[in-house]
Amino acid sequence: MKNKLHKRNFSIMMLFVFIILIIHPVMAIEETSQKVYDFAGLLTAEEVASLESISNKYSQKRQVDIIILTTKDTQGKDVVQYMEDFYDEKGLGYDKPHGNTAILTIDLEHREVYVAGFYKGEEYLDNSRCDLIREKITPDLSGGDYYEAFQAFIKLSYQYMGVKPGVNPENILFKLWFQVLAAIIVAGFSVIAMAYNSGGRITTRGSTYMDSNNSRITNRIDNYVRTVTTKQKKPSNNSNGSGGGGGGGVSSGGHSHSGSRGSF
Amino acid sequence: MMVIQYKCPDCGADMFFDSESGKLSCDSCGRKDNVEDFPKDFIYNVFTEGETVEYHCKNCGAVILTDTDTTATTCSFCGSGVVLGDRLSGNMAPAKVIPFTISKEEAMKEFKAWCKNGLLTPKGFMTADRVKSIAGMYVPFWLYDLQSKGHADAVCTKVSSYTRGDYIYTETSYYDVHRSVDLQYIKVPVDASEKMNDELMDKLEPYDYSQLKDFNTPYLAGYLAEKYNYDDKQLFSRVKSRTDKYVESYIASTIKGYHTTSYKNKQIDTKQIDAHYTLIPVWMVYYDYNKSEHIFAMNGQTGKVVGKPPISYGKVAAWFTGIASVSFIVLKSVAWIIGGGF
Repeated sequence: MKNKLHKRNFSIMMLFVFIILIIHPVMAIEETSQKVYDFAGLLTAEEVASLESISNKYSQKRQVDIIILTTKDTQGKDVVQYMEDFYDEKGLGYDKPHGNTAILTIDLEHREVYVAGFYKGEEYLDNSRCDLIREKITPDLSGGDYYEAFQAFIKLSYQYMGVKPGVNPENILFKLWFQVLAAIIVAGFSVIAMAYNSGGRITTRGSTYMDSNNSRITNRIDNYVRTVTTKQKKPSNNSNGSGGGGGGGVSSGGHSHSGSRGSF
Repeated sequence: MMVIQYKCPDCGADMFFDSESGKLSCDSCGRKDNVEDFPKDFIYNVFTEGETVEYHCKNCGAVILTDTDTTATTCSFCGSGVVLGDRLSGNMAPAKVIPFTISKEEAMKEFKAWCKNGLLTPKGFMTADRVKSIAGMYVPFWLYDLQSKGHADAVCTKVSSYTRGDYIYTETSYYDVHRSVDLQYIKVPVDASEKMNDELMDKLEPYDYSQLKDFNTPYLAGYLAEKYNYDDKQLFSRVKSRTDKYVESYIASTIKGYHTTSYKNKQIDTKQIDAHYTLIPVWMVYYDYNKSEHIFAMNGQTGKVVGKPPISYGKVAAWFTGIASVSFIVLKSVAWIIGGGF
């Protein structure tokens, strides 16, 4: 009897847990704001919906709105200016109007791309990280695969914002494949060494039997012969000719941001 | 004189070599005799080789069963220790011996402890309750004194690089390096028994040569012993290839401060100064596990155990998973500490 009661209590509890789990995302969706501003019409309705939901998910995790902005007409403005004005006007930001934002701007008129971060977005996506993101998505943009590029932008921004500012987010230590591979290699070598040494090891070396009183170096010559010098051009940082870099700035509304621009 | 047995002068019981005191001792009355004081006449006796086919125990008269390499054994009927003098005389006389310092009981205890420490050994093996037999045996070894002269010529480089303007400059400096060494190696052991696995015997080293004694037959009383199958000339190539490696690594250790070393030629000339026929104490442990016999050898002086124990795949898998998980967690933590990257 008691057991049954327990079981029922447990079932009720599980039900509650499920209800909470089901309701939770619904509640989350309620507080979302628009993330994709596709003025250039590069995406289908389904693609927009899909990007909205991905961006909402990741924006919430990092407390930074991840925005995608496209345009065919910058009203004569530079892409940076256009983005700054859009930010000031819309009052973008996860935590407050004019708050934490990571924003990708596509200017189809001049075929330019600009990746920028405001506040927490600026702190975590500094100019060099913006460069990294821009370089990674530029091939997709050039190829016209906008949906893939935008998706990559959202995921990379999310990833990079999970790494302390100032640290190279592409460090091999952060790669899951490297972590798994290294762990397997370490374990493999350890086990092989254990098996190999299970039958006892040779613990003697030459020094064990050498009679140092009657051993010596009888001749020792170290003659310098020549020096050969070779030179090599320093690898340049700009990997493609699309003209990258740029850096950040301050919007007319007084909001400082990081950034990286390039063409595609 | 062909069969040597030791009777206690006081009570007439059989005497055995006692590993603890290092003396020939009588279990019945406790008499202990210094081995060094026994006469060594047998060494100079000359027996006609191949003359003897059968040995008889002086105690009970039974035939002592031996194979042709045996030099000491126990009578299978009365258990008395027997030393076969004719096989230890003339040029078959050992020069030196390291007496047993580990008794049978201690050997068994040490072996059990070793089994327990096996990281990959199956549980059933670790209890060491299936030891079929354990035998104390003096294994014939040659201890070589060697002189090696080595010459090596090498081209070594030092590399440095610096940056000027848009270019990275790499400077490689070349050196002609020569080394000549004159090295002496003392008492490098090589086992001279055909029956013994060379690899196993090599792993038993090192021995403490401070306890090396002049050979005398009472050391063998109560143990098994064999005579050598290969003489020092036949085994020289084995010890030479080993010493050559020592010389090479010694030369390499004298070439320091370079980034790369490539040898143009190496010449190592190893000569034998002397070789001492020496009996080395080894406990042989025969262990039945899973219907197959595993052989282990224990250094009768230091207690070091060698020999391949069976491997449990379950334990291998467990260790692998454990180490992999721990390494993964450590890497994750390092990643988290430097960047919080998840």
